[in-house]
Amino acid sequence: MLHLSSLDFYGAALQTGARVARLVAANVANSDTPNYKARGIDFDQALAARINGDAPASAQYVRGLPTGLDGNDVSLSYESLQSVENSQRIRASLAFVSHDVASLITALQPQGPSNAG
Amino acid sequence: MSGIYTIAGSALVAQRRRLGLIAANMANADSTAAPGQQPYRAKLAVFQAEPLDGDGLAPAGDEGVRVSAVAQSSAPFKEVYAPGNPLADARGYVQESNVSMVQQMTDMIDATNGYRANLALLQQTQQINQALIQAI
Repeated sequence: MLHLSSLDFYGAALQTGARVARLVAANVANSDTPNYKARGIDFDQALAARINGDAPASAQYVRGLPTGLDGNDVSLSYESLQSVENSQRIRASLAFVSHDVASLITALQPQGPSNAG
Repeated sequence: MSGIYTIAGSALVAQRRRLGLIAANMANADSTAAPGQQPYRAKLAVFQAEPLDGDGLAPAGDEGVRVSAVAQSSAPFKEVYAPGNPLADARGYVQESNVSMVQQMTDMIDATNGYRANLALLQQTQQINQALIQAI
């Protein structure tokens, strides 16, 4: 079992989220490129690899999407779903990490607010 | 997150270039040519994925897009019977460009959709970045 502070964990989660966001951006940018195939990563695996210090998981082709006549299989609705999910994940990580930091700062203060009176 | 601006920006540039070519095609849809000369040919933007250079934040290999070539349509030219036209040939036909208005319209919708999708992604990224800054 790896000892991990919550700041490390949310840092890794945010970095993995940024990686997913870049892949979504690349797919959307190439939604009209002939023979381009959509790519993505599994968030859980990528996060685990980052926490364990393994080599970062490489992007894989997204399977099961219909391919157009030009050989392109980017689906804008699928990518928009991925993007919304990912941004919610990033926002959640941000909310948790800022709460943790606030708790940490409270714990570090020499005097609690209750001693003031 | 900085790589997203480069990627989505490259797509905005490419789609804008494509829209520019569509505008040129539509403007020249009715242009004619004298006998023996070539009328206007419809121009098509050819998109190609372009791997970006990596920097400290974005690893290499993420792909943007660029217009790699501008191809000319090989569709047959339109022939319009207009014997009174000074550009008509011996049979009374005038050669017009091979631009198909319907095809240009659908192409324009597709290009606009692509442009909008990238713009929406940029706006979402901006919101995330603002949340990131506020969390500090």
